[in-house]
Amino acid sequence: MTGWHGRLLNVDLTSGRIWPEALPAELLQTYLGGRGLGVRLLRDYYQLDPFAAELPLIFAAGPLCGTAAPTAARLSVVSRSPLTGTIYDCSAGGRFAWRLKAAGYDALKIVGRSSSPVVLRVRPDGGKLLPAEKLWGEPIGTTVKALADHGSVAAIGPAGENRVLYANIMMGEGNSVGRGGLGAVMGGKNLKALTVSGEQKVAIVDRQRFDEARQDIIRLFKASPVIFGDLGIAEYGTPALVDLMAQRRMAPTENFRKTIFSAADHYSGPAIRKAYQPKNHGCYGCPIQCKKSMQDGTPLPEYETVNHFGALNGIDDLRSIVNSNNLCNQLGMDTISAAASISAWGEVNGRFPRAEEIGALLQAIARREGEGELLAQGAARLTRQLGRPELSMSVKGLELPAYDPRGAYGMALAYCTSNRGGCHLRAYPISHEILRKPVPTDRFDFAGKARMIKIAEDCNATIDSLVACKFSFFGASLEEYAELLAATTGVEYSPQSLKEIGERIYLTERYYNQQLGFSAEHDMLPERFFSEPGSSGDGIEVPPIERARFVEEREKYYRIRGLNERGEFNENYLERQP
Amino acid sequence: MIRQIERYAAKLHADGSARPDRTTLLARDDRLLCWGAEELLPLGKAVIERLNVISLVVAEPQLPFLELLLRRTDPATAELIPLDTETRTFLHDIPLVRKGEFSASDPQRLVELLGQRKGVLVEGVGIMATGSVTVEQAYINYSSVYHAIFVKTLYDLLKAPSPTREELALLRPLWEQLRLQPIEALTDDLQRGGLAGKAQVLSAMQQVGERTVALKLVDSFFGNISCRCGDQLYISQTGASLESLAGCIDQVPNDNSSTAGITASSELIAHRAIFRQTGAATILHGHPKFSVILSLLCEETACRIADCWKNCAKIRYLKDVPVVAGEIGAGGIAKNVPPVIGQEGVAVVYGHGVFAIGEEDFHQPLLAMVNLENWCREEYLRRLQSCCPQM
Repeated sequence: MTGWHGRLLNVDLTSGRIWPEALPAELLQTYLGGRGLGVRLLRDYYQLDPFAAELPLIFAAGPLCGTAAPTAARLSVVSRSPLTGTIYDCSAGGRFAWRLKAAGYDALKIVGRSSSPVVLRVRPDGGKLLPAEKLWGEPIGTTVKALADHGSVAAIGPAGENRVLYANIMMGEGNSVGRGGLGAVMGGKNLKALTVSGEQKVAIVDRQRFDEARQDIIRLFKASPVIFGDLGIAEYGTPALVDLMAQRRMAPTENFRKTIFSAADHYSGPAIRKAYQPKNHGCYGCPIQCKKSMQDGTPLPEYETVNHFGALNGIDDLRSIVNSNNLCNQLGMDTISAAASISAWGEVNGRFPRAEEIGALLQAIARREGEGELLAQGAARLTRQLGRPELSMSVKGLELPAYDPRGAYGMALAYCTSNRGGCHLRAYPISHEILRKPVPTDRFDFAGKARMIKIAEDCNATIDSLVACKFSFFGASLEEYAELLAATTGVEYSPQSLKEIGERIYLTERYYNQQLGFSAEHDMLPERFFSEPGSSGDGIEVPPIERARFVEEREKYYRIRGLNERGEFNENYLERQP
Repeated sequence: MIRQIERYAAKLHADGSARPDRTTLLARDDRLLCWGAEELLPLGKAVIERLNVISLVVAEPQLPFLELLLRRTDPATAELIPLDTETRTFLHDIPLVRKGEFSASDPQRLVELLGQRKGVLVEGVGIMATGSVTVEQAYINYSSVYHAIFVKTLYDLLKAPSPTREELALLRPLWEQLRLQPIEALTDDLQRGGLAGKAQVLSAMQQVGERTVALKLVDSFFGNISCRCGDQLYISQTGASLESLAGCIDQVPNDNSSTAGITASSELIAHRAIFRQTGAATILHGHPKFSVILSLLCEETACRIADCWKNCAKIRYLKDVPVVAGEIGAGGIAKNVPPVIGQEGVAVVYGHGVFAIGEEDFHQPLLAMVNLENWCREEYLRRLQSCCPQM
């Protein structure tokens, strides 16, 4: 077997037992790795409570990790989200995934709960639990620095320790396993950090075929204005989107009451470049290097973060936004959900917090102190507790990111059909509705969007299982990645067969969610988007979404998926799956 | 969705790439929508129902390029490697499927290949191309494959073995068109003089875009147009059809104080470099077919360069017009075209297309492109006749 090692490392934190397990080739070939493998490995556990000790927390790399495949030095972390209650995965870059493969493992499966804080050290000869009482309570930077000699680090900060429902697992290089609170799951296990090290190489069956496919991908990256264009993400990072979203009048502002923020140019890509003269960096071996950092290496915020700590809270101070980003990274907390929770709380209170108040609020959230106790539960729970549930701008409890659904109808549908709640990355229709890749579509029209979303969800489930970065697909497609995979593993894959794998992964997740109580009523946007317009102007009308048309397209989506009118399976889907 | 189908069926016929009586488009929403030639529908349905795609075009080119290509291709050949760089970049290779390999009741081979590639060449049928997002995407992929076989077939005719009389007869309407119908220099009505102000610039760009497509100097969604105006640059968006640029032009400040132009053409880098080095006011980029074909001809005999389309450092000439190599986007065009385009106001990128510049408006670049393409058409015929005196 090449590409995969065929090896999983089991860790039981309750007993302290650590042992390797063979992963069958058929399982790996069928679910690939990353999200797909993690979701399959959760089949016997997905109904457990997110904080149940027996619930596995799975770190899974993909078959391309460890090769020179562009953007593939990534892994997915899979478990059940304490924020949404759904099955949950998140992909992250950095060096950790590459080191995990170099240690000789495709995945780590962590169960149990340690009686005291520990660090899991993984090497080619196995794993070892090390005491971590001294690190408990420490921020990410201190933790990573303390463990640097052990290899690459993934750690939680105070937010994870205190089970903030949107706590992240942070990679040592600043990348995050974000959104759904898997940092809280890790904290619930008393696991402060993991370290991985090794030197094992990943063999490639057909080097020439691999190199040709890689060259094709690099050529497509160069031909993509979003990636390597003068104004693209390699130059400006994802804040390159700030100006575009302002121009399209779909930048969520003041808890989605408006869709344009007049001071957005204070934190745009060019504004950040002018203020910080950023350095480029990125995930291991990635040619794009879309991450930007200050000269001292401190990561600068992404698009979602600048919008949500900016427009969503009515803040125009770049220094404050950068500070908020840094605080979230150090405390180990998701920036989108943190900012969105604060924004929803601000609207309930009738006043959005001032820039100078944000830092203290973030500290309070991570430590669950004062108002932080409420804010740590996310927008859906806090607005419910305050008697204003309609002000939670979330789907299935996951706070919406920085693309207003009234400005992109495919995005509106995709937020709702996403298996992990209001996420932009499951189908990523912004790619065609806004960025014109691979072809442009009409953002104010639902026509055809149901099937587009279905196909994109299948593709992205595959991408998350390879595991590759979705930014690659602003240029390349599954066509080229199927070649890389076949060249690496010697198993023939095509875009079609990969989409079939992605469909299986997606439907498995949907089935899990159905068993957990999710149905059509959860595939729904907050009422605001059906009753209040966005900020029209400059010749662009941003009306409320027509609810009947939305529901009609959602019903089409269910039919295309083979689900009934409630968005449910009529049979046990898992019975037919490998 | 049915509106989209009808729109792209009309485009296929208008651009002359498909026979109206042999064109079928299929699209899947929550049900299958079909349009076009009845005899191709069973095959189209059988294929699309087995694929995770949205759209499929099945059509036969108006002229028998595929038949000619197959005659001159080893029967064991499984795929065509496009010579033009745009198709090579986005589609890689194009599988060839022979008659005995499929039927409407057993389309597995076609399903397998269309599950791997965006378009295939099918003996006895023509071109099949898919779209995974829109109907338009299937149309674009069809057009790319059509462009690739047009370029390759005509390029191959200039190479040994010389085509037979029978082979030449297959393309008789094309030879007559080349002899009798040069492209008309329809530029007099284009806006003239310095283009001042956004409204005037956008209007001029839309006008020249429509004209460039009408004169068949570019197909499908390829090509791009820009205009420099004060401290701003206006440029067509990536994936924009030059014949309908309304709402598809980005305004990009020269000082990069806004990144809203992230959706601009992938050739923004090249356009900026050309403006910087030449002082031009306008740029027009198209893919006129015979300029592309002749750019591929090279007289070098002892050259060791592989992948000439990106690696050749030499400047060759079509008449007086320089030909340079260079990949799309950030891949070399921006480096190689600007130093040479000022000589004649026009330059060719090897196997790709033509860039032309104007000092004030789009009259000059469009005229330059028309003149070059007409010269290349004549030159192509001359070369073909010199190797086929019986023509």
